[in-house]
Amino acid sequence: MESNKMRKILFGLLIAAMGGGLASCVNDDTDMDDIIAQYQIEPASIELDFSDLAEAADVPVTDENDSAYNDYVENTAWTRVIEIEYSNDGATVTGTVPGVTVSTDGAHVTVLNMSSGPVKFVLNGSTADGSLKFYGDKRIQVLLNNVDMTNPHGAAINNQGGKSMYVVVADGTTNSLKDGPEYTMVDEEDQKAALFSEGQIIFSGKGRLNVTANGRGGIRSDDYIRIRPGADIYIQSNAQDGLRSNDGIILDGGRINIQTTGSGAKGVRSEGPMTVNGGRLVAISDGDTRITTTDGIADTTACAALHCDTLLTVNAGVIRLKATGDGGKGVNAKQDVKVAGGRFQAVATGTRKIKKPKGVKIDGNFAISGGYFYSYSRRSDPMDVSGQTSVATGYKTYELTPKVITIEY
Amino acid sequence: MARRKRKQLAIALLALCAAFIPTPSHADDAGLVLSAEASHKFNKKLSMGIEAEFRSRNNFRTADRVSLGADVSYKVLPWLKASGGYCLLIDNNREDLTYQDDGVSYNNWRPSYWGVRHRFNVSLTGSYKIQRVEVSLRERWQYTYRRTRVIDNFDFDEGVWEDHNVRGKGKNVLRSRLQAEWDIPKCKFDPFASVEFHTTDMLEKTRFIAGVAHSIKKTHEFKLYYRFQLTNRHASDEPNIHMLGMGYTYKF
Repeated sequence: MESNKMRKILFGLLIAAMGGGLASCVNDDTDMDDIIAQYQIEPASIELDFSDLAEAADVPVTDENDSAYNDYVENTAWTRVIEIEYSNDGATVTGTVPGVTVSTDGAHVTVLNMSSGPVKFVLNGSTADGSLKFYGDKRIQVLLNNVDMTNPHGAAINNQGGKSMYVVVADGTTNSLKDGPEYTMVDEEDQKAALFSEGQIIFSGKGRLNVTANGRGGIRSDDYIRIRPGADIYIQSNAQDGLRSNDGIILDGGRINIQTTGSGAKGVRSEGPMTVNGGRLVAISDGDTRITTTDGIADTTACAALHCDTLLTVNAGVIRLKATGDGGKGVNAKQDVKVAGGRFQAVATGTRKIKKPKGVKIDGNFAISGGYFYSYSRRSDPMDVSGQTSVATGYKTYELTPKVITIEY
Repeated sequence: MARRKRKQLAIALLALCAAFIPTPSHADDAGLVLSAEASHKFNKKLSMGIEAEFRSRNNFRTADRVSLGADVSYKVLPWLKASGGYCLLIDNNREDLTYQDDGVSYNNWRPSYWGVRHRFNVSLTGSYKIQRVEVSLRERWQYTYRRTRVIDNFDFDEGVWEDHNVRGKGKNVLRSRLQAEWDIPKCKFDPFASVEFHTTDMLEKTRFIAGVAHSIKKTHEFKLYYRFQLTNRHASDEPNIHMLGMGYTYKF
C-alpha cells in the first residue's frame, strides 16, 4: 500500500518535471532586434545631381577694399580680346593685343602675355588634339563659348601665370576639357590637371563645363579657387583629384558634380582653408586605398570625397559627399571643421581591408551651430573626431546610432 | 542506535560531498536534467539499455539538449564492467556575441541554433564494496562528432546577415568518475555521490553529483539528484550550472 503511494508520488514528480522541461521554450539569446535594425540602416542616397538649383542673385562686390573685389570679373574692363577657334585642323586666332604673342602648332596654342593690362580670350570650336597654354603675369579671362578640347598629351588649359584666371562659362553653352593618360612634361613647368593654373581660378557664368581627367587631376590651382553662383561644373576624374587647390577653395554657389575613380584620389582637395557659402557640391569618390612603396616602405593613402588640410567652414549651401572604395572617407579634415549652416551629408560605404572607411574624419575639433549635418559609415563609427566636439544648443535633432549621426537645427 | 549511526554516516557523507562543491556565483546558470531509461539484463554478465534525456538551462527556461542513446555492458570480472554506447545529441547551441578590439563595439552575433552531434563511448568501470558503500571508478573515452553546417551570423561591420560555416569536427574526451553508493538497510532511499572530470588537452569541466535513488520491486528505479558543473574558464565560455536531476529506469 505504502509502496503504491510512493510510486504514485514519484511518477507524479517525474511527470511534473517533464512538463516543466517541455515548458522550457524561452529563447535565451540577447534581444538584438533593435540593435541589428540600427546596423542595417541604409545611407542617404547621394548621386550626382544636375538638376536646377535656385540660388540667390550673384551680386559682385563693389568695394575695392574688399579682399574679394578682384575675384569678380565684372570689376575689370576687358577691352583687350583675342578669339581662338579650335578645329581638328588647327586653331584660328582672331584679334591682336599689343604685347600678346599667340603661336599655334596645329591646335596647340601658346600665349605669351606681356600686355599692359588684362586680356580676354574667347574659346570655341572642337579639337581632339589641342590645348591652350598661357605665359605671363597678367590677369586673364577665359570665356568658354562652346569649346570642346582634348589634349592627349597634357593639360587642355594650362596657365603658367601666377595671376588670376577668370574662367567664365558662357550662358547656355556646353564646354568640354579633357586631358590624356600620359603627359608630356616641360622642364620647370607644372601641369597638374586637365585645367591647371599657377594662379587663382575664379569660375563664373551659367554654362556647363565638363572636365574629364584621364592622366592627372580635373581642375587644379596652385593658388586658390573660387566658384561663383550660377556655375555648372562636372568633373569626371579617372586618375587623380577632381578639384584641388593649394591655397583654399571658396564655394559661393553653383552646381558642382565631381566623381573620381582613381585609387587614393579625392573628389575635392583643399590644402588651404575651404569655405562653403552656397551652391550644391556633390562629390563621389569610388577609388580604393592607394599603396605606394618607397625604399621598401609601403605607404597607404585612402580616398575621400572631400579632403581639407586646414579649416573647413560650411556657412550655407548643400554638400553631399560619398566614398565607396576601400577605406574611403566622406570627409577627411586634417584640422577643424565648423558648420554654421547649410545641408551637409557625408557617406562612407567602402570596405575596410586596408583603411577604415568613415563618413567624417576630423583630426581637429568639430563645432556645429546651425544647418543640417549627417554622417554615415557602413563599416565603422559614423564620425571620428580627434579633438573636441561642440554642438551648440538649439538643435531640433541630435541622433547618434552605430552607423549614423544626425544633427539638425 | 544503529539507525542513529546510519543517519550520522549519511550526514557526514553528504557534508563531504558538499565540501567539494564550490560556492555558487551570481553568474552561474541553473537547469533541469530529465531522463528515462529502459534496461534489460540478458544474463548475469550482459545487459543493454536505451535512454532518453532532456536538459534545460537559462534558469530552467530554455531547452538545452535532447538526446537518445543506447549502450551495452558486459561484466568482465565480478568487479570490472566494460561497456560501449552511442548517443544522438540534439543541442541548442548558445548564442555567440563577439566584440571589436575596443571591447564595446559589436563584431559578430551568431544566434542560438539547434544542431546534431553523434557520440560514441567505451568505458571500464571497477567497483569495490566497503561494508555497505560501493565505490566505483569509471574511465570513459568518448568521441563526439558534428557535421559541417551553415548557420546565420550577423556581421555588425557589414550590417548584414551572412552565412557562417560551422565546420565539422570530432572531439575526444576522457571522463573519469569516482562514485560512492550507499545501501542503507531498511531505508527506502539509497544516497549516492560522485565527482567526474572531463579532460581533453586540459581539464574542461568537473561535475559534482549528490542524490538519492529509490527502487520499487527491482523493476522501477527513481533518482533525484543535484548536479553542479564547474567549467574551466580557459576551456569554455559556458557558465557554471546548477542542475536538478530526475531519472526513471525501467528494468526488465
